Amino acid sequence: MKTQTLVSLTALLSLVGCASQQKPAPEPTPPPAQEATATPPAEAPPKAPSEVPAIPLRQPKPMELVVLARPDTPIVTFRLVFHTGSIDDPKGKEGLTALTATLMAEGGTQKLTSAQLLDALFPMAAELDTSVDKEFTTFSGRVHRDFLPRYLDIFTDVLLAPRLDAAELERLRTNAISTVENGLRSANDEGLGKAALDALIYEGHPYAHFIGGTVQGLKSITLDDVKAHAQRVFTQDRLVVGLAGAVDDALKQSLLSRLGTLPATGAPRVTLPTVTATSGRAVILQKQTLSTAVSMGYVNPVRRGDPDFFPLAFALTHLGEHRQSIGLLFNELREKRGLNYGDYAYAEHFIEDPGTTYNRTNIARTQQDLTVWIRPVDPSHAVFATRGALYFLDQLVKEPIPQERFDLMRGFLQGYSRLWEQTDPRRLGYAIDSLFYGTPNYLEQYRQALTKMTPQSVQDVLRRRLHPSALNFAFVTQDAEALASALRSGQPSPMTYASDKSQALLDVDKSIIGLPLPLRSDAITVTPAQSFMEK
Amino acid sequence: MRRLLPLLLLLLGTALPALAQSTSSPTQAFPYTLKTDKLPNGLTVVRVPYPSQGIVSYVTVVRVGSRNEVEAGKTGFAHFFEHMMFKGTPRHPEGERERILGTFGFDDNAFTTDDITLYYSYGPTAGLPQLIDIEADRFRNLEYAEPSFRTEALAVLGEYHKSAAAPFLKMEETLNAAAFTKHTYRHTTLGFYEDIKAMPEAYQYSRDFFQRWYTPDNTLLFIVGDFDDDQVMKLVREHYGPWDRKTSTITVPTEPPQTQPRSAHVDWPQPTQPRQVLAWHTPAASANTQNAAIQTVLVAYLVGPTSPAYKQLVLEQQLVESIGSDYVDHRDPHLFTLTATLKDERHRDRVRLALLREVSKVAAGKVDAARVKAIQDNARYGALMALQTPRDVGIQLGWYAGILGTPDGLQRHLGHLAKVTPAQLSEFTKRYLQASKLTQLSLTPKVDTAGGTK
Repeated sequence: MKTQTLVSLTALLSLVGCASQQKPAPEPTPPPAQEATATPPAEAPPKAPSEVPAIPLRQPKPMELVVLARPDTPIVTFRLVFHTGSIDDPKGKEGLTALTATLMAEGGTQKLTSAQLLDALFPMAAELDTSVDKEFTTFSGRVHRDFLPRYLDIFTDVLLAPRLDAAELERLRTNAISTVENGLRSANDEGLGKAALDALIYEGHPYAHFIGGTVQGLKSITLDDVKAHAQRVFTQDRLVVGLAGAVDDALKQSLLSRLGTLPATGAPRVTLPTVTATSGRAVILQKQTLSTAVSMGYVNPVRRGDPDFFPLAFALTHLGEHRQSIGLLFNELREKRGLNYGDYAYAEHFIEDPGTTYNRTNIARTQQDLTVWIRPVDPSHAVFATRGALYFLDQLVKEPIPQERFDLMRGFLQGYSRLWEQTDPRRLGYAIDSLFYGTPNYLEQYRQALTKMTPQSVQDVLRRRLHPSALNFAFVTQDAEALASALRSGQPSPMTYASDKSQALLDVDKSIIGLPLPLRSDAITVTPAQSFMEK
Repeated sequence: MRRLLPLLLLLLGTALPALAQSTSSPTQAFPYTLKTDKLPNGLTVVRVPYPSQGIVSYVTVVRVGSRNEVEAGKTGFAHFFEHMMFKGTPRHPEGERERILGTFGFDDNAFTTDDITLYYSYGPTAGLPQLIDIEADRFRNLEYAEPSFRTEALAVLGEYHKSAAAPFLKMEETLNAAAFTKHTYRHTTLGFYEDIKAMPEAYQYSRDFFQRWYTPDNTLLFIVGDFDDDQVMKLVREHYGPWDRKTSTITVPTEPPQTQPRSAHVDWPQPTQPRQVLAWHTPAASANTQNAAIQTVLVAYLVGPTSPAYKQLVLEQQLVESIGSDYVDHRDPHLFTLTATLKDERHRDRVRLALLREVSKVAAGKVDAARVKAIQDNARYGALMALQTPRDVGIQLGWYAGILGTPDGLQRHLGHLAKVTPAQLSEFTKRYLQASKLTQLSLTPKVDTAGGTK
């Protein structure tokens, strides 16, 4: 439940914001076929691994406590992170974990109806929210210490004594179904493309379905299912307890002793299967829309804690940090070519933390994905834009990042990464993620690692660990058959511009226009958006 | 109906504080001090000391938005121009800004609204001297070539297409066109689609736009964080001091009073929830009246999470997914709205009438004083909860300063909020939320069979 606002700056500021800048001093992109002299022996880069095994994340001890106390704030921040998520949805009941968590957070407690819960929290302007991902569910809260005793009762009751009543279940189920039918399928082409890519690269895997559930899965959930599920997954052995801000010993003890009445254990952990890495597939979701949204990616064995993760993350930030205009793709595809509103790349799964441009915390995953996001383009440019992104991804493998650009991006991340940890909820989130990945002081370690990287050391990692040939693609567009034909044909995608372009850009375009996409013509499917995540 | 993309949900779940002046309150909601100076050229410079361990936010608000777009065919220009502001100067050619600010890791962005354009950079205090230099330079000496302008117009078009996937943009366009006949609020911040498509041809106009509105007397600067104030002011005076243009005056057409109820409808060609919007013409936000504060409290009172309408329509009868409001403070008289996302077309009238009943009760003087107080408590604590970073503080200050035209706009607004009385809510409702001033917008999904759409 979001604290309601009087003046929602969400609304105030949900406006059109954009930075538009050019790349630093033009580094003409070298012609594609030329090897830079600094490149190591011109052997073919290693192939993408054919399998990505599920190497389990670490398991903190039951109810491990993470405290980041601060004397200079009157606000207390709670962050309870359970190692359970949509992977724990039973088959045929997709959406159960998310619906259960939402019903707990919004549906009232045994003492308070949902309306009374709202009444109680409102004058405090307190926050009490839940967020579910594939493997993790977070209950988060913030409150001013003036209201701490009352809030602590409510917050813990949400977990220990949720009301779980039938009427609220119906209300929230209807909303969840609407989120799929009206939101995901209809009103958010970009989100739909991302969800479709997830479903494609994790086909047959517990990650494959939408976290919010499938229409039929949601319809089949009963109140008994919810009650049983809460007992099975919201258990002490899956819980990390985070506290930050105005925290004292009494609060720690009080919170832990209450949470000690949660079930000690519940369902056995889901064993995630090895992902057989199939590449070269595309799904095209057909719906009415003015433009074409594009997502591409593959399942990636490199995750936090792997020594190669930092260089990979650095290179993907160079390619396109989320909604930051410093990225190479942003400059090449949006700024120079005017193809769209933005283009970004991610070394690990990315979900924007609302109100920021940063990744959410506590969405750790056993099997990560590496993705590129092309914001909607004119349908006639969809293939060109896709090839453009692939071209610049290929460049990363072929040649080291030029030293000047490398230094710029290193400076950028040294500063920008500090913005990721400016609030108590985010600081807690990072500390908790570190327990699961085994990466203490993660951001500080990242900044340290940056100081030691060189263009060559990063490129050595990219040659081994970045695999453009492993990509799969998801498109959302109106004329799906035309796009499918264009992709199957492999024909060049010529590009013309309404304004003058530099010769250097036109030379790069020559390489992009006919670039072979790693697509198998028999693995391109067209699906109506209206059937997506039906069951 | 929502605004365009949630770019900055930075205040997710917040309300703004009432200044905690009363001794009974243990909590001061806005515990920051503003140091304000006005340079001889008219630029207002506000510094806010904030313990942030070497992180600073730098917010520039220009009092120009789509409200200023009075020329036919030139809607959407304030927003387009915001894009162009990142395109360089003779001294810092295209790409230079990025290299300088990028080296420090600044988050560097901007947004445009109906009334203001706000630029923010958020990052290490160590980069402040370079930031002041490059910011002053672009506000004084922006320069870009026509090809770059033409290309950026396509990014704006891409932005429109991205936003057009959800029904909110179309709803806002339709409501504004029905509610406003003369005033520039008739078009949205993004502008008319036809005008956006024609933007590449308007290079010269964009240059004029800069000269007209990007002037020191039309701009306020907010710097929030831990820095040496004397040193910063020295740099600000040095770099911004020579900026010497004067803002233009235009006449934004006054909207004639609405005398009859109006309605507008959208058939949405894809599956979506039916929607209902009630919109009344109401007075502008201003630094010296309670009008904005009253409307802010009224939103929470009528459709907030503790309102009878919410309990009845959302929780008990479950006729709607949600109810709310798109009310936003504006420089000129705008709209007070109530919105409902319906579960079923059949309940449209029932929901509409239920909302109108709540309005009638307030107009008749039936106001629950305890609920008003709870709303004011929520506002006070919500503010404190919201201001988590220098960026939050800078953007909030900039926003209110831009709308209200005074550097202490936020504090004034908070002061007004704390003073709203039940009687004021009732009087305001009676005076402005009348049938003759009402425009109703409905949206219905119209989908062909088999999921296809025409």
